[in-house]
Amino acid sequence: MPFPPRVARALSSLVGGPAVRDRAGRLHFADAGHGYDRFGMHPDFVALGDTLGSPVHDRYFRVKSYGVENIPATGPGILAANHSGSIPVDGAMLWTDVLRNTHPPRTARPVADHFVTALPIVSTLFARCGVVGGSRGNAKALLEAGELLMIFPEGVPGVGKLFRDRYQLQDWRVGHCELAIRYSAPVVPVGIVGAEEQMPQIGRIPLPSGWAVPYLPVTLTLFPLPVRYHIHYGEPLRFDQEYTPDDADDPDTVAEAAARVKAAVQALLEKGLALREGVFA
Amino acid sequence: MMSVLVTGATNPVGERLVRSLVADTRVSHVLAVGKEAHEAAMPFANSARFTYKRVDLTKSRQVRELLFGAARDLSVEVVVHLAQHRDARGRGRKVHAANVEALRSIMDLSDRHPTIRRVVVRSYAVVYRVSMDLPVLVTEDHPMNLDPSAPQYVRDRVEADLVACTRMGLTNAEIVVLRCAEALGPGMGSQLFDYLHAPLALRPAGFDPMVNVATVGDLVSAFEAATHGSGEGVFNIPGHDTLPLTEACRKWGTPSIPMPGPLVAPLYGLRHRLTGSEFTYGLNRRTMHFGLVLDGSRARQVLGYVPKHPIDWPVGGPVAVVAA
Repeated sequence: MPFPPRVARALSSLVGGPAVRDRAGRLHFADAGHGYDRFGMHPDFVALGDTLGSPVHDRYFRVKSYGVENIPATGPGILAANHSGSIPVDGAMLWTDVLRNTHPPRTARPVADHFVTALPIVSTLFARCGVVGGSRGNAKALLEAGELLMIFPEGVPGVGKLFRDRYQLQDWRVGHCELAIRYSAPVVPVGIVGAEEQMPQIGRIPLPSGWAVPYLPVTLTLFPLPVRYHIHYGEPLRFDQEYTPDDADDPDTVAEAAARVKAAVQALLEKGLALREGVFA
Repeated sequence: MMSVLVTGATNPVGERLVRSLVADTRVSHVLAVGKEAHEAAMPFANSARFTYKRVDLTKSRQVRELLFGAARDLSVEVVVHLAQHRDARGRGRKVHAANVEALRSIMDLSDRHPTIRRVVVRSYAVVYRVSMDLPVLVTEDHPMNLDPSAPQYVRDRVEADLVACTRMGLTNAEIVVLRCAEALGPGMGSQLFDYLHAPLALRPAGFDPMVNVATVGDLVSAFEAATHGSGEGVFNIPGHDTLPLTEACRKWGTPSIPMPGPLVAPLYGLRHRLTGSEFTYGLNRRTMHFGLVLDGSRARQVLGYVPKHPIDWPVGGPVAVVAA
């Protein structure tokens, strides 16, 4: 790491203040023995992420959350959200929002695309804050340990969607439902309104394989606009009450479950769009 | 009461295991096998429950004479195979014979042996493939490293592992494969030990992977559990300490310097040429980017193995808190 946990702790204490430290102190955390969990998450870096994310959450994007009571307080769970914005700031805001609105605080474990784990510095900082690579084994281990996963079933195509496609969900991957059914984890649909307008994308330049990122976005702005985020948490979908873990092997069942999650997210987006008074309001 | 044959008895794990088995009242006799004339160095050499034999396991004739000679006479029931060539840069037919063919001979002969009912094989975490699209936390069904361009050190270990695994359920003897985390200690052939022992540890800039390291004590407990257990299978044997690479360097008291990846390999190559050091960056490149932590759930459930011996870090000291 560019700096050790004690520096992260000092920074979060100095800048974040007692509320951030209090949250870090009450964090649900499976210490593997040296202050880190097995995936490399460290509470002091979570506190640092909280310190850096909270001002952006509160003052820049002025995030409003709805239905936070739907986030499971304990046990395994999956947050399934729409993804957008040219750069994945929506992930950071959702992560911060969950941390601040759960009692005791929970760190959502974002499941990132494979290329993220190969990015120097970013991969390490993300890992310290709870991000894991998007492999089935990582997700399985976390759900079995009772963690809350944060999954964007649209994947990179969601972040890379063009402005004209905003709020239209892209191809919806089904892996999160397979995990939910197999490990009896409730799926909380999440609709993020606002991020889709933060950095209007008009095109993208694909990069050859082997580069650190799959493409370069062509956007109308260099930085995200100060749109207001509205994060809507829907009622958990309890697939474990309808299916047995073995049903996770049935592609039709999994596809049907994923379609229900997608419909729930789309409904939350439509509700959020209807409720909001303007992109910046 | 049973008799146990331990190959590789003169390496650090073998020596500790033999010591422990000699003291174990459930074991009637320990037949220790090594390449070296090392018997005198073993404090229990005069014990009536201990026999040392100098055998070159790369010679199939000697293996046959061992198993159908001394081992049969002592009614050996369990073979613990720890012998492996430890030099990561070792190459060639003789090294392959030590790493793979010796095990193949033991497996073949155990199948028709009158007393052997169980073979416990030491394998290594290095048999697993490490990649950005694979889990950091590695279970036994994780893909293996079948890269034909991998160093012989890796290819031999993968082949030996497969030699054992492909015989499971097909022979008269039960086969247990323990894929062990790297043990930090001298004489273990540990890449990480050599890495940490350098005055300066170079690492690829921007990466700080999670590593899991074991102690000789924990590996010995795992082999004891496997020796006395029943049933067969593959088990990961993690160590007690799971931590980022930079934290390991800090606790070892070795300054770590981030460097552009392409510079690290030649610098370690130069260090090897100048000092004869063992650490090979090419062997560890992926692990030093993406990390590898063995999941020991299966060993805990089936063998009752739980790592209990933290590393006595020179700077940080052992960790008292057991993992959640």
